[in-house]
Order: sequence, then C-alpha cells, then structure tokens
Amino acid sequence: MKKNRRTIQIIILLGVVLLGGYAIGNALFSSNDSLPQKGDTPPDFALLGLDGKTHRLADYKGKALIINFWGTFCPGCVYETPDLQRQYAKHKDKPFEIVGINLGEDEFTVNNFVKQYDVSYTILFDNNRNVERKYGLRSYPTTFFVRPDGTIMDIFVGPMTEKDIDERVTELLQS
Amino acid sequence: MLSFQNTKCECGHQNPIGTVLCENCGKPLEEAEEAGKDTPLEMRYDGIARRSQKSNPGIIDRVWNFFSSVKIAVRLIVITLLAAIVGTIFTQENAFVSFDPSTYYEEKYGWIGKVYYELGLSNTYESWWFIGLLVMIGTSLVICSLDRVLPLYRALSKQQVRKHGEFLSRQKTVYTADIKGDEAAWIGGLAEQLKRKRYRVKTDGTALLAEKNRFSRWGPYINHIGLIIFLLAVLLRSIPGWSMDNYISVPEGEVVQIPDTSYYLKNEKFTVDYYTDEELPEGLKGTARAKLYETKAVLYECTANCDDPSVQPELEEVKRHNIIVNDPLSYKGLKAYQFGFDDTPRLKAVNPVLIDKESGKTYGPFELDMRNPKLIYTLGDYTLELRQKYMDFTLDSSGNPTTKSREPNAPAFIFLLKGADLPAEGVPYMYFPKQNDKERFSQDTINGETGKRFEIKVPSMEGVAFTGAITSLNVRTDYAMPYIWVGAGIFMFGVLIGTYWQHRRIWLRIDEGRLLLGAHTNKNNYGMRADVASALRGIGIDIEPKSLDNGGNKS
Repeated sequence: MKKNRRTIQIIILLGVVLLGGYAIGNALFSSNDSLPQKGDTPPDFALLGLDGKTHRLADYKGKALIINFWGTFCPGCVYETPDLQRQYAKHKDKPFEIVGINLGEDEFTVNNFVKQYDVSYTILFDNNRNVERKYGLRSYPTTFFVRPDGTIMDIFVGPMTEKDIDERVTELLQS
Repeated sequence: MLSFQNTKCECGHQNPIGTVLCENCGKPLEEAEEAGKDTPLEMRYDGIARRSQKSNPGIIDRVWNFFSSVKIAVRLIVITLLAAIVGTIFTQENAFVSFDPSTYYEEKYGWIGKVYYELGLSNTYESWWFIGLLVMIGTSLVICSLDRVLPLYRALSKQQVRKHGEFLSRQKTVYTADIKGDEAAWIGGLAEQLKRKRYRVKTDGTALLAEKNRFSRWGPYINHIGLIIFLLAVLLRSIPGWSMDNYISVPEGEVVQIPDTSYYLKNEKFTVDYYTDEELPEGLKGTARAKLYETKAVLYECTANCDDPSVQPELEEVKRHNIIVNDPLSYKGLKAYQFGFDDTPRLKAVNPVLIDKESGKTYGPFELDMRNPKLIYTLGDYTLELRQKYMDFTLDSSGNPTTKSREPNAPAFIFLLKGADLPAEGVPYMYFPKQNDKERFSQDTINGETGKRFEIKVPSMEGVAFTGAITSLNVRTDYAMPYIWVGAGIFMFGVLIGTYWQHRRIWLRIDEGRLLLGAHTNKNNYGMRADVASALRGIGIDIEPKSLDNGGNKS
C-alpha cells in the first residue's frame, strides 16, 4: 500500500514534468509564430521559375544558397540586384546558388527586369505570396543566407551593399 | 502540525497523522486544534487526514505537499487571473495578421507600450511563464483531488453509525431531549420518517445514521477531471497538425490554395450590402452600416499535381457554401470564416482604341490586361509592341520611371508603335489607362510629336473591367475541439451535482433515555434543519427548525 502510493506519486510527478515540460518548452522555443530564425532550416517551397520549371528548396541541398526576396517596385531590391549578379558571376564555379523569389509580380515585368539587369541566377515566382508569408517577411528586400548543411546563417533585412553580400558569401563558402 | 502527535483515539482507533476528527467515532482528537472547544466542528473532508500528510517528508513529499495545498492552488489561480487581466490591456500579437510588433506597441501606446512589449506581455497567453502557471494549476488540480478524494471515499464508505457524543453535540444542527418509552421503537419511528424523505438509514442498536445525496460530494472531483481533460486538450492544440489559424485573401472569381493544406478555395462572388437610410435610426442615417457580408465559396480538394506549380493541380469540388458572418464554410473540421474584404476597384483590363488624329481613323479596340498583357497588338496598319509596364507608376529619386507597388494603382504602359508611315524602329508611346494619371504625369508632353498625331484611349466606360472585391477569410482547423467540449461538459456536470444537491447526514444516539441528535450538511443548513424538524414532527415532536441551530451557521 505505502509502496504503491509512492509509485503513483512518482508516476504523476513524472507525467507533470513531461507534459508540463513539453508545454513550456513549446512556448519557449516556438515563439514568433515559428518564423525562420538563424540556425533554423528555412521553410520548404516549390515555385515556378522563369524557365518554366518547378524549383524546390531541396534542389539546392549541399550548396551555399542565397534566397533573395525582391520586386521591381522595391527600390532597395533594384539597388542590390547588380551586386548579387556580380557575386553570382564571381563564384560561378563553386557550389553556390542565388535564388531570387519575386514578390508576386507578373511574368512580363519580371522578364523585362531580368533582361535589363542581365540577371542570370534563378528567378522564381511566388504568385499567391505563400512563400513570402512562410518566410515571415515584414519588409523588402529580405535575404536569407543558407549554409550547405541547410541551416540559415544570416537573415539580412533591407538593401545590401556589395560588401555586405561579399562578406557573407565568403563565410558561406567556408562553412 | 508535524510535531509528535498522539493519533490514537480513545475508541481505540489509530488515525493517520493530520487527522482532525477520529475516523472511527468522530471525536475531535486531543492535540488537534478542534479539541476541547464547544464551537461547531470543522467538518471539511470529514476531518480526515490528507493522503500525503507525513511526519518526515522527503523531497518528493515536499513537492507533492506543495501542490496538495489548496492555499497554494488558490494563490496560483489568483496569480494566473491577474496575469490574464494584464494580457487584456493591449491587443495581443496574435490578433494581427501581419505587423511589426517591435515598433507597433511603442508607436500606438507610447513608452508604456514599449515596456509592455519588452516584458513579453504582448504575447501573454503564449508565454512560457503563463503556460507554466497553467501547468502548475493542472498539477495542483490532480494532486489536490487525489489527496482528498481517496481518503474521503474511504471515510464515507465505512461510516460508523455510533459517533462520539462530542462529535454530535458540536454539529451545527443539534437536538437533545429525554426519550420516554422503548428506545428501539422510537428510533424505528424516526427512521420511517427519514426514509420518507429519501434518506438512507442505518441503525446500530440505539444509534442511527441517515444520509442522502452523498454523490454530490463527488461533484468537485468530477469537475476537476473535466478541467484536467480541458487543459490536456488545450495542450493538444500545440502539437503540429492539430490546429491551424490562417488568413487568405481571395479575389472574386479566383481560386487560392489554403496554405499547408491540400484544399483550394474559390470566391465565386463577394457581396457587401449596406442598410439604406430608411432602415437606419435617426442618428445613424448617412453612415455606411453593413447588413450583409457574403462570400459564395467553393472548396476544392487537390487530388493530383498538388505540389508542382508548373502543372495545373487537379481539383475536386468537395463543398459549396455561402459564407456569412458566424456561418462559416465547414468541411471535415476545416472552417472558413468571413473576416474582411477589400472592394476598392482595381483595374483589371481596358479595351482602348488607337486613334490617328490626322486621318481621323480609329483602330481597335484591343484588350489590354493589366497583369498579364499580350506583348504585340496588331491594329490594321499599325502594330503596338509592349516594351515596359509599371503597375503603380512613379519616378524614382534619379528621375527614372519605376513602380511603387505591385497593385495596379497607377498603371502605365510603354508601347513601340510601328507602321508603314513611321520610322522602321518604331516610335515610343506611353499610355496611362487612368485619366487622372494621364494628366498627373502629363502623358501628352511625354509622347511629344507622336502624341500630337496618335492617341490611345478608351472610348467609353464599357471598355474598362475591374477586378471583383477581395474577400478575406479566416481558415481554421481545431481537432482538439471535441475534447475541449467533453472536458467542459464533464466540468459542468461536476459543478451541477456539487451545487444543486447537498450531502445531508443525521446521526443520533440514545444513552440511558437521553437523545442526542446531530446533523451535518455541506451547504444549506436551513434545509438541513427543516428536514430534521419535519422528521421529528412526524413522530409527534413539534419543534421550530430555528431552535435546532447550534450557532456558527452562515447558511
């Protein structure tokens, strides 16, 4: 009887620790609506590219990756595009990719822009802006630097100078 | 309390530590606080010891005892209530679809908003400490109940009929008298009366115990079980896939995927109706009061090609519903509620003509779609090649044309006009479909000489198409809801049986012709006394219910 009671006490307290720990841990670690943070794996996407093919995040596994959200309506995005293109050309022979996710504009506009700025990295359309929401964008441009192991090294909000990009790409390629 | 205590009653029963009233005969134990007075007894939990009370507690016992204390439970509840109140001061973050909390609170409420945000109070109900408080309350619920219900159950299921004299004389309802005649017959007569009042009667020689509605004692424990189920169900919602709370905007006529599901929703028509002035009371006339928001919605389930944007997904209609406020579309636990709308007219397409002002000839019309325009338009002798377009035309800081947003607020198109009588490389022509933009950005000046000869314009309003209103829907799934209802139902059931019935007990003993009667109830002592008086009246003892009052009554 006495022993039984102790066992029940321990079982209940263990249950409390497990369930309570799960609940509190959840509240502690999944803050900010589970938006991607440094060190997280970025949310998956499957988007139509300018080339008419479907591109998925998984396609870039093992490569250093820049995910850049942009639009022609956003001056900061336009400003950093030539620098991104230069970085892309510079590291062409390395396992390094840039993906420019357009923020819901039409094909004609995007095409014109790509031609005008000679962009040769991958451009994707986020037509109903689901991916934008998944990535928790609050302002444009926003750029995610993803390590070859698939974790986010840095998130840059706002227009980047070439130096900003260069430093991060160097770090990415070293990891 | 934890000092040495002689827990052996004079009736010979060995009581556990912490016992207030002897488990057997009900005599107040000498060292307990209750002993030696003549005020009504503390009858809580029938004076039994809590299950976990011990003389030398270890760590587990200490933790256990902490949660076992009702005093602690009450404090936890009060703290949680205060925290919940604080959380209602400013709008919580989860009430917004998209905004930046780090600046919002300061901008809207000033420094106090900043402090509020920095303390994490803008997310009170999801914060770890608030969840922690709930977990502690849950623990306390389980442990408090368990520690009390088991001993109480045992005490109530093996009650002694003959109780100690002091136990009887210190109840709140007491009656004493001298009995003449046969004691057993007297008791039998009273037992008959009590049975008619639906008491269950047990006798033991010249002692009697009558009892009714014992089940109401389990009410609080049943409602605690309900609360625990409720809390566990709330916890379930945090497991991925158990609950979803999303917002989607669907323009009229379009189909939009509900994020993270295989469902697509079409807005066939959105209607917003306003009350006419005749329908409105005096003070509200002239204001826009909505009468109806309605989205004619169709829900589709994707059956193939769901995750590949390069091919059209195959959709199968599964549900059709006209969503109005408080009447969501509901399908297999997924609910789409009317949340908002945007009926600002947006240009969808125009059907302009090309006019040669010199010859007076008109070419066209041709359809110019704002979002996905064709690139080449052949109009009789002339062709228009689309070169550039801006959805929301403006000039940037260095004077170059650019677009301010992706919405067609101020659309502008640059065409290359070609024709036999024009230079082979063509002449540029800039076209603003909206009349006010045309003037604002002086289309005619930009087009110069070309503008003097040619004009692209929409001949009538019929040539203008607007996109329909955009409806915003709140899409939710909550698979934990049935468990929450079950928990809430059990809780209400427990409250009901604990509140509307009272456990009433009457003890009596006759010692050498002297009757001693005591009665106890957990609430409504007035009813208890009325029961006793009415039973006594049935055997010929006329007595005012009030005179049975032994003091100490609050009810």
